[in-house]
Amino acid sequence: MLQKVTQRISLTRRLWRQLAHWSVPPQRGLALPLAGMALGLALAGIGIFREAPHQLTSVPPGYVALVNQQGILTSDFISQVATEAEEPFDQTTPAQRAQVLDEMIDKELLVQRALVLDLPETTTEVRTVMADAVNAQAGAPLLAEEPTEAQLRAYYNAHLDRYSTQGTMTVINLVLHVGGYQNADQTIGQAEADAVEAVYQLRSGSPIDYIEEHFGFVDASPQYDTQQLDFAARLHLGPQLYRIASTLGSGEFSDPIVQSDGVHVLVMRQRQPPAAEDFASARAQVYTDFRLAESDVAVQQNLKLLRSRAQILLAPGLSE
Amino acid sequence: MWQPDREHSDPPRGASGRRRGWLVGLVLLVVAVLAVSLTLRHERAQAALARALLQTYPQDVTAHPVLVRFAQAQARPLYAKYCAACHGADMRGNLVLGAPSFLEHDWLWGDGTVFQIERIVMYGIRSGNPKALNVTDMPAFGLMGRLTDGQIRELVQYVMKLSHRPYDAEAANAGDMLFHEDRVNCYDCHGPYARGDPDYGAPNLTLDVFYNGGDAQSIYDSIYYGRHRMMPAWDGKLSLEQIRALAVYIHEAAKDAPPRPAGELAALN
Repeated sequence: MLQKVTQRISLTRRLWRQLAHWSVPPQRGLALPLAGMALGLALAGIGIFREAPHQLTSVPPGYVALVNQQGILTSDFISQVATEAEEPFDQTTPAQRAQVLDEMIDKELLVQRALVLDLPETTTEVRTVMADAVNAQAGAPLLAEEPTEAQLRAYYNAHLDRYSTQGTMTVINLVLHVGGYQNADQTIGQAEADAVEAVYQLRSGSPIDYIEEHFGFVDASPQYDTQQLDFAARLHLGPQLYRIASTLGSGEFSDPIVQSDGVHVLVMRQRQPPAAEDFASARAQVYTDFRLAESDVAVQQNLKLLRSRAQILLAPGLSE
Repeated sequence: MWQPDREHSDPPRGASGRRRGWLVGLVLLVVAVLAVSLTLRHERAQAALARALLQTYPQDVTAHPVLVRFAQAQARPLYAKYCAACHGADMRGNLVLGAPSFLEHDWLWGDGTVFQIERIVMYGIRSGNPKALNVTDMPAFGLMGRLTDGQIRELVQYVMKLSHRPYDAEAANAGDMLFHEDRVNCYDCHGPYARGDPDYGAPNLTLDVFYNGGDAQSIYDSIYYGRHRMMPAWDGKLSLEQIRALAVYIHEAAKDAPPRPAGELAALN
């Protein structure tokens, strides 16, 4: 065993000695770098003097024109001619075809110019249309399958709050103006005290006309003193007054409500609150909403995929 | 030492043997040159035909039998690979998928010209491609609650009557009224005489051709659940030449389809 190890060590030493004395012949030492240089120069030459990317000099089959190397499809041309002429393509005249081709070339030029001007980056309308088109493409396959009865019911049950009939209200919006508003010279405090008294008298049965005249109330929106759907009343009253109005029943009066223009009192003449719709009557809306929700899922999935492939860098201090 | 018997094991080559060798070599060379030349010629001819197929307006292709044969040869394997899964290897469609048969002498979309078929193959139906056919679809009248179960059954009987099948006369009359009622609006797509509208993909209901099945239950399902046929756009996945070839192939198959015997029709539907 020891003998074997000794033999191996001496062999290794002999090899190292030979390697130490090994030298490249002078001619070969020069030839290799020269060959490398020549190869490098040749590659560089190919790169520099190589022909520019192939440019089409004639229209390829299947296209009617090339506009800056961008083709106009024969199929699209035929379709456009037939649409504009309102007759089959083979019954159109050469003049009609030429006119359509002119228009298509013009449009292609404008689109190319739009890309040069970077309109997708700078113009809101273009960005919106592009984004909508991508969303529509993403949602298309999902719409191929109709939902089942069970899916619609489950959706309805999960979104019961959305399915109710519109309520209606006939409401009078009385206001005691304050400060310099409409030449009123009373303070908020005075107006609020008067309004409290007015509400007390209204609730005790005093007629509205008397209260209006006695305290100097103004009907803030006499043109709307008719029955309105809730959404219309919300527009006319504003969110704060509407929120209070929607809690009143027919014949009820609100407490004084202080706003920037004065103190308001709402008189609910008639109120029909919204009622929950059963599945059968809400069905069409449930169906539409379900489809929209499906589309939205597809859009979100598509965005998720795009994000997974994108490199998104945020400035320091910002987060999504 | 043993020496091989050269006289027997390696006979000397004479002049005739060398000549024979040269001759065989020459023949092989000629055959190879011929084969290469024929292959190149065939490829050039194929390329010329492919160019001509695309350079000819689609409606004119069928006037050139050479182009039609070329297109058919090109399209056969493409159809098997890309279309047969839905439309069937025999082109008779698929009732479950609602993929139309091409052999009914009736076109759900368009007029069955090479151009129309080509557009559909290229851009699809409701494929999401902006140029796809996507005007409207069959609403889910039952699912949406726009028609009751009874009303749908009446409409089914009316459709059975239109397509010359056994029907219940009283229900069919009620269905006829519903069909033409503004609220239901069937006639808006299917036409006042129920002959369909190929611009909307609305089938002709008088032909006894049903792409989702023509029995009472299938018609009921069509009205209750609606139909939303889809076909992918092959633009970008197949070349223009392949799409044109497929359009010609389908057009020719449809044109040559024999009228289907009534018995077979009933069995399919």
